Amino acid sequence: MPEVINPTIELPLYILLVLLCLLAGCFVLAMKAVKNMAAALQEQPDAMLPLVDATKPGTTPLHRWDARFKIAAIIGFAFLTVSLHRSLYIGAALLVAAGLVSLARLSWSRSLRRIMAMNGFLAMFLVVMPFTAIIHPDDTLIQFGALSSWPLNLRGLELAVQIVGKAWTVALLMEPLLATAPLGSTLAGLTRLGVPDKVAELLLIAHRYIHVFFGELQRMRCGMEARAFRSGFRLGALRDYGNFVGMLLVRSFERTHRVYDAMQARGYAGLMPQQEVGKAKAADWLKMILLVVVGLILLIGDRLAGGAA
Amino acid sequence: MHISDGVMPTSLAIGSGVVSLALTAWSAHRTRNRDLPKVAVVAAAFFVAALIHVPLGPTSVHLVLPGVVGALLGPSAFIAIAIGLVLQSLLFQFGGLTALGGNALLMGLPALGCGLLFQLLKGTTIRRQMLVGGLSGGLGIIGSALLLALLLAASGEDFLVVAKFALAAHLPVAIIETLVAAFIVRFLARVKPEMLTAPFTLKD
Repeated sequence: MPEVINPTIELPLYILLVLLCLLAGCFVLAMKAVKNMAAALQEQPDAMLPLVDATKPGTTPLHRWDARFKIAAIIGFAFLTVSLHRSLYIGAALLVAAGLVSLARLSWSRSLRRIMAMNGFLAMFLVVMPFTAIIHPDDTLIQFGALSSWPLNLRGLELAVQIVGKAWTVALLMEPLLATAPLGSTLAGLTRLGVPDKVAELLLIAHRYIHVFFGELQRMRCGMEARAFRSGFRLGALRDYGNFVGMLLVRSFERTHRVYDAMQARGYAGLMPQQEVGKAKAADWLKMILLVVVGLILLIGDRLAGGAA
Repeated sequence: MHISDGVMPTSLAIGSGVVSLALTAWSAHRTRNRDLPKVAVVAAAFFVAALIHVPLGPTSVHLVLPGVVGALLGPSAFIAIAIGLVLQSLLFQFGGLTALGGNALLMGLPALGCGLLFQLLKGTTIRRQMLVGGLSGGLGIIGSALLLALLLAASGEDFLVVAKFALAAHLPVAIIETLVAAFIVRFLARVKPEMLTAPFTLKD
């Protein structure tokens, strides 16, 4: 096999060290943020899980959009986005998603929280991918001093950046999808799109229970800590974790059965009463077609653009 | 444990989504209406368990428990895991939107396998149930890690090394989950043994 010479940029070794230190710093910060978030969730006596659905009614085009069309259009746009291969077009999709958030007049803090939650995981891609991507003949490499056997592949770096862009775009799409209607309406839209009633019903019940169980989790944790529980990677602590989850299951199971019996006694026959759902209007169709066409234009532009991918 | 949006090529994302939807439909079909609250409980517990962090060296890992979900629910385990993942995605963005199908597969399939294993081997004594419970707990994580590596490797040759990293990172998680699952099953076998009987054969 003939030796292939890649275009190579040579840089002194210390630049790599500086870059790695910077990335490691970002990674540590991101992990700290996630850890703090988890700790805050577990330790505050009145901590709450983040809310999913609309906190207040709105009159923006996204709030007035029929749930079926909104779900179909946004999921369609998400799939079109992850099909993109060029950074420029992924950036454009990110802008479209950000435009939807501001169009719906949603608070940015909830969207930013979604993005922050993923960043530790995405940072791993940013560090690992440039060094581990397979080297193709026309990839540009950056060599650091004497480390010639371990070059940084610019294509790998671009791939990682693209993954970050796509993941951020989808994260930004979630708030316009969920926070512009009550969860019940969104789920009703799902069932009208053909999702089985059982699945939608389970989602609704489970979504109510996670808030209940989360409160239970905090009460039990409080009790354990009052009895001198110390967490850690020790057999004793792992046994306590096991008993803890077991107790959580038994308590929730019994509570759920009491509630279910009570619901049946009040005439529950396997389905929540449906809310009134309006008929699809022309505007619903138009908004869906608009968003999907924007996605398609991005995809076609992405595929037709010349030059190296 | 999760694959994020943008990693899998669209064909793989849609393919795994379709397989997941089919398995969810099968799982829903095998779930009797009167078992719905139980499935919802386990789905919510699967969600909440992911908020329990076990410190491990400089970092921490959270509980995943696919094996325990399988042991508790049998054929309904897949739908419980799918629901739990959708909720994680809705609340925290873990697991993304386009990658949901792949994520449901990589945790749901081991849950089904471990559920079957647990029901076949569990015997009658508490000690044996604890051992088999621990085994399904550990195998659940190993199976998930293998599927994760497989999906990453199938996403392109550039992800091969990442797939190996992911596999290695799950070894300590598998040890923790084996022990925690064994203790969970021992607790349930002592306190509420009827929770550990999820039939794979019965259907009405």
